Amino acid sequence: MTTAHSEEALKTLMLLSLDGDEAAYRHLLNALRILLVGYYGRRMGAATKADMEDLVQETLLALHSRRSTYDRERPFTAWFFSIARYKLIDHHRGRGGRKLAETELGEDIESDFSEDTVTARMDVERLLGSLPEKQRELIRRVKLEGQSVADTASRTGQSESAVKVGIHRGLKALAEKLRGGA
Amino acid sequence: MRKTDDIIESLVGELKPVPRHALKRRFVLGILPALAVSLVLMLTIAGLRPDLSQALSLPLFWIKSAYNALLAIAAFLAIYHLARPEGSQGRFFAAAAAIFAAMAAAAAIQLLLSPAETYPALILGSSALHCPFLIFAFALPVLAGNAWVLRGAAPTNLRLTGFIAGLAAGAAGAWVYSWFCTENGMPFVLIWYSLGILLTGALGSLLGPRLLRW
Repeated sequence: MTTAHSEEALKTLMLLSLDGDEAAYRHLLNALRILLVGYYGRRMGAATKADMEDLVQETLLALHSRRSTYDRERPFTAWFFSIARYKLIDHHRGRGGRKLAETELGEDIESDFSEDTVTARMDVERLLGSLPEKQRELIRRVKLEGQSVADTASRTGQSESAVKVGIHRGLKALAEKLRGGA
Repeated sequence: MRKTDDIIESLVGELKPVPRHALKRRFVLGILPALAVSLVLMLTIAGLRPDLSQALSLPLFWIKSAYNALLAIAAFLAIYHLARPEGSQGRFFAAAAAIFAAMAAAAAIQLLLSPAETYPALILGSSALHCPFLIFAFALPVLAGNAWVLRGAAPTNLRLTGFIAGLAAGAAGAWVYSWFCTENGMPFVLIWYSLGILLTGALGSLLGPRLLRW
């Protein structure tokens, strides 16, 4: 199975990026951004969206400046999720450990690399990939990243009702695809 | 707040190729000069042991040298792995325990072969009180080198990485010190050298969480 977020696909992009391929790097960072939103979303229940966005950005900056620590012979996702976990722990520590308990670190360590977590994410992305670009983007923003309809409307330059209609149609199309056993 | 899209674009804009062995190179660049500084420090402050030419023919001198060198190598290899986010210390503690046990065996054999009246000289020597502190001092340049290397890397277990980085610096400092030290007692090395190495390790574990955070 080759999806946009499989270990092989991401590792290929990373290897190209290390050799200076800008297009590959752009693809990689956008894919990692989605993985990070999902990863942090599941672990930062009570956090504000702005907080999470900050952490996603900080993690992208960190992995950029530390990219020389990636060993080309080893799995890319292990490297990447280790950075994500470190940044999450550091984030909580930075606030005096106030929310450390909420992070459920025990569960975290077990499920980080679990195939299920990553493949579930990939399945969603694969399904979304079958939708038109516009609907895909709306569903991603509102349903996956959890942005508000109003925010999404202003960011994509559409009316709120257009956003709602787009999401509705997209989800309907997805439901049909699933029912059809696609 | 900057938008994530903008951040991604700026990161793409400043992408430069990474050489294949970038991390290895950073270790060599950080540690070898630090070790040289430590050696120069020892030569200028303390000087080589006056009886070095005779000592070079003694197995005791080389056992002492090997104890420190092996510990240092094991610890440097461990922090090389810990410098990566998904890295672990591997079998470092087992290796260090085996090296320590071998040194303890050498010490026991030497004591068994020696008359009881030489025990104070073999265990306390004449420099037991300042030995650990001089080792600690000669370790500091290497500890600084380790900190520089690791601050550019991505360790995720900061206290453990700091501790082993301290042990590596301590063992390197002890190796440097062994060219000056005139003690020939294996029990002396086992106790006082190890104490100096542990002292540096303790400093490393205190500094790790502060200095290595990224």
